[in-house]
Amino acid sequence: MDTFQTLLLGSVLVPSIASLGILFFLLNDKHMAKKVAYLAFGFPCIAGIILFLNFDPNHTGYAYEILYDRMGLQSLGITFHLGLNGVSAPLFAMAGFVGLAAALVAIQSDTDRLPLYLSMLAFMQSGLMGLFASIDLLFYYLFHEFALIPTFLMIGLWGGRDRRTIALEITIYLTLGALISLGGLVALNVMLDAPKFDFPSLSAAILADGLGIETQKKIFGLLLFGFGILVALFPFHSWAPRGYEAAPTSVSMLHAGVLKKFGLYGLVQLALPLLPAGGLSWGPYILWLALGNILIVGAITVAQNNLKSMIGNGSVMHMGYCFLGLGVCSSLGASATIMLMCAHGLSVSLMFLLANSINQRTNTLEMNEMGGLAAKTPLLACFFAAATFATIGLPGFGNFWGEFAIFLSLGGYGLDGSGEVTEKHLFLVLAALGIIISAIFGLRAMARIFFGEQSEELSAHEKKSKINDLSFAESIPAVLILLPLVFIGLWPKGISEGIDISITKRYELLEKGGSNYGLPSCCPVDQVFKKSVTNQSQSDAKNVEERK
Amino acid sequence: MIQVALSLLFLPFISAAVTLCFLRKHGNIAALLSVATAGGILAFSSLLIFGGEEGSIFTWSTTWFALSDMHLEFGFLVDSPAKTLLFVVSFIGLLIHIFSLGYMADDEAKSRYFGGLSIFMFSMIGITLADNLIMIFVFWELVGFSSYLLIAHYFKTDDAAKASRKAFIVNRVGDFGFLLGIIFTYWIFGTVNLQELEAASLDPTLTSTLLCLLLACGFIGKSAQFPLHVWLPDAMAGPTPVSALIHAATMVAAGVFLLIRIDFLFTAEALKLVGLLGAVMGLYAGFCALSQRDIKKVLAYSTLSQLGYMAAAFGLGLPGIALFHLMTHAFFKALMFLGSGSVIHACHHEQDIFAYGGLRKKMPITAYTFLVGVLAISGVHFLSGYFSKDAILLGAYNLDFVIFLILYVGAILTSVYMFRLYFLTFCGEARSKSSSAAYESTIFMTAPLLVLGFLSVVGGFVALYPIQIVEFLLPDIERVANMPNHLWMNILGLFAWVGGLSIAWKIYGNITSTEDPLSEKSPTLFNLSRSKLFFDEIYSFYIQRIQDPFFRFLEIMELLFISGLMVRGSAGVAALFALLGKSFYSGKIHSYSFWFVIGTIGFLTYSILFGANS
Repeated sequence: MDTFQTLLLGSVLVPSIASLGILFFLLNDKHMAKKVAYLAFGFPCIAGIILFLNFDPNHTGYAYEILYDRMGLQSLGITFHLGLNGVSAPLFAMAGFVGLAAALVAIQSDTDRLPLYLSMLAFMQSGLMGLFASIDLLFYYLFHEFALIPTFLMIGLWGGRDRRTIALEITIYLTLGALISLGGLVALNVMLDAPKFDFPSLSAAILADGLGIETQKKIFGLLLFGFGILVALFPFHSWAPRGYEAAPTSVSMLHAGVLKKFGLYGLVQLALPLLPAGGLSWGPYILWLALGNILIVGAITVAQNNLKSMIGNGSVMHMGYCFLGLGVCSSLGASATIMLMCAHGLSVSLMFLLANSINQRTNTLEMNEMGGLAAKTPLLACFFAAATFATIGLPGFGNFWGEFAIFLSLGGYGLDGSGEVTEKHLFLVLAALGIIISAIFGLRAMARIFFGEQSEELSAHEKKSKINDLSFAESIPAVLILLPLVFIGLWPKGISEGIDISITKRYELLEKGGSNYGLPSCCPVDQVFKKSVTNQSQSDAKNVEERK
Repeated sequence: MIQVALSLLFLPFISAAVTLCFLRKHGNIAALLSVATAGGILAFSSLLIFGGEEGSIFTWSTTWFALSDMHLEFGFLVDSPAKTLLFVVSFIGLLIHIFSLGYMADDEAKSRYFGGLSIFMFSMIGITLADNLIMIFVFWELVGFSSYLLIAHYFKTDDAAKASRKAFIVNRVGDFGFLLGIIFTYWIFGTVNLQELEAASLDPTLTSTLLCLLLACGFIGKSAQFPLHVWLPDAMAGPTPVSALIHAATMVAAGVFLLIRIDFLFTAEALKLVGLLGAVMGLYAGFCALSQRDIKKVLAYSTLSQLGYMAAAFGLGLPGIALFHLMTHAFFKALMFLGSGSVIHACHHEQDIFAYGGLRKKMPITAYTFLVGVLAISGVHFLSGYFSKDAILLGAYNLDFVIFLILYVGAILTSVYMFRLYFLTFCGEARSKSSSAAYESTIFMTAPLLVLGFLSVVGGFVALYPIQIVEFLLPDIERVANMPNHLWMNILGLFAWVGGLSIAWKIYGNITSTEDPLSEKSPTLFNLSRSKLFFDEIYSFYIQRIQDPFFRFLEIMELLFISGLMVRGSAGVAALFALLGKSFYSGKIHSYSFWFVIGTIGFLTYSILFGANS
């Protein structure tokens, strides 16, 4: 095992060991628990940066592979297999950044039973790092559950208003989503009969003999709705805003920023490249539902008065762009989705972080009870402005490139291979309306919280406790998130190269369904997938013979 | 060259970053840094403009963002129109930075202000140098951001808070069309690089009016043209030097620059539409300016109107003249805005022109330079405005008479409202305490006024400029010079400004009250002009009565149907089954044995009836 492999394994193991350490030995030692937490979250962050910077973008497969195959599950094709490719490396690094920032917020907070809180958070972090590092599908799924369970517990224990009800609702809702997607994964494995239950083996198996169109459609549907629930695809999104509103800040940051990307990651890495016909036939439905995210949830976001629920709804809205990128079924759309996932993970967690800082100063989250805060807290206003403008897709922040490339892919999708404007461009036009909607809610929030006159409620609260600007320590986590966000914004090539190479290669099968411009718009699925069709009819014939 | 171009672009960026990180609490150092940066920008852009030979074009590019078959570049295209705008931006930028030293001397948040100016210079230079549409779009949004930041400078006032938001969102509406236009351009032409597009546009089957109009949406938003003009007058809530730099001389003119950049894509119909739109704006904004009381709003409407002239020139197929007018307008409008800044500063932030009066004696430099600006914009012979504006009128007279008529009426109005402004502000007697206590501003403020005043006088003689700056203007100027009806146009022009001057003198020459005399002389006209034709009312009606209630309605629907019926409903169904199942567990032995018997009978029936077949 070389250094890099050690770092990779360490970033998964260190947080979980630290978590157990705190749980068993340090529950009453706040001071020491904090120190351990620095290690538990600092290590993955630094490891993530090193592994990302060292990652060779021209490398097509997985780098830093670690394989342990003596777990007694070989017969099922299950091994402990870690590694990073061009898609997972930037997400892995992003998870490290967000994790550290979330931990710093937690450490600075005055949460009661802080060691227990940190322990659970570290456990969550371990799952997050693990899920992007897993090559094996079972572990990919398990790491997701590792991260999900502490989420429920933490909402239930430390959440805000109605925390019990919301924790229960989220638990049931997300477990349902996870189960459906697990069903899809298992079905994929069973149908393909791959030697191993991991990303590369399934890819290899699908190239060797494809699945029939009907099978593809069914499995894709399972994966789409399973993962869709986890990513808050419209209309399965109602858990998200309420959950984030109730959850403690660090949990909102980690869940909205990182954990929610699990489903998208699965769709990009697995469902689309492996089930091209499924993707193509579900594509238009994905697009329509994604428009529901952007337009309907977007409109609802504008109507919000509670800051956290605005951020939560806004994050659901921006997930719509990610689904648009998937729905066009092209390598451009998929890579753009990954770009946006990285950027959105950072920007939304920054928003939650700042919402917490605002809440600490105003003792409320209702925006009409604030106002004029910029005069008292210029630095906080500055960070909030940066986060808002990042969220609404201002160039110079990463989100812009993701959204822009997604719009571009929609433009190509609408062409229908004809080189002219067609009615399919309606998707593009409607989706682009989102840039106006986000600007409206983002700037309204900015103006309501920071500009204008101070509200009476705030003045009354100010008499009780003085409103201070962000301290140096408080601004560290914000800076930590802003730095990569601006880096992607100014130099998108820095992460796009690796994403591009690993996506393009794996999307060849899907792209073959395309006409001009390499985009599979309305390709006649039957013709393109003749090979799959013949395969299926052969296997059907075989089955008939066997029965006889 | 490439080092020069990169330093030119990133110098203000670095300056803004340094200000943000280290100079937040050191306003004076930040101010000096920003002014030094503006000086550096002028030096670097001179190097860039005069560095190459005459007529040379400098290009450079590198991959910025590549995914799949999409390939975006970060590149520079320094050709003749870029050089003209670069000159305008860096030169006027420096003057306004210096003016700001005086104007913002007592401001609390100097570092925010000067940092914002540096971000603006960065973004504006980005637009000027960009070699492709996507890069233009990136910096396009960034100028919008810096404009937001600077309008919101006095964020404590509700006006500034609302105006900044309005400016950004209205611009976003324009950018929505612009973005769609760029995406369609990308897929139809296969490139967004300006030079490649120019080559590709030779194929007439690719260009279409729809595409041009989408791209022109960017211009409509940024240059505040109809129907997105509502943000610019409100944007006057920002500090006055910002209004001069961003909302008069450079950023709003970037819209016109964009049109000039993509001139070759335009079809005849699209040109005609843009021309007509511009002409109507020229007239409409002039009409609104007639009844404004706020000195800055008069100038804002005047800017709208002059931008309309530029668009009209472009629509007539005279992009060189449009750029020419952009340049001269930048001189005299920056001059007048800075002059108004000097007046506002002297009168303790009083902005009502009816509260001024008699300021000529108290602040002569401001007054006389302002007069130069007024004369120039009214098209007085041989001043800068005369050359560029009358070139547009002459071109319109010969090419499209309808546009000419609209623009000509607009020209008379221009002279009326401008002289009205001058008479009310500088002539007569002081009509308020603040104006009677006014005194001339410091050298930081008067020096830029003198320089701009000089340029407003001689700025129309293109022969005075180095060839690199005016290269792009010459062919179109020559074309207009060779058109017929020069003498006739001169007479009409004379009539326009003299007529405007006399009307203004007659109504506003010596008034003592603080009421607008027009409201008594012609109430209908006055009220119509005050109403600005109800655009603001229509938009706010839409937002408050249609959009917001609809969004709230959607929120309730979501709560009812998705969170309620779908999620809670399914939970309810599950709970119902649970309730049903629970009732079987009664804990009574006889009910259990009863169910046991029922189950046994059911099982037997099933196996007898259906089991035999298998």
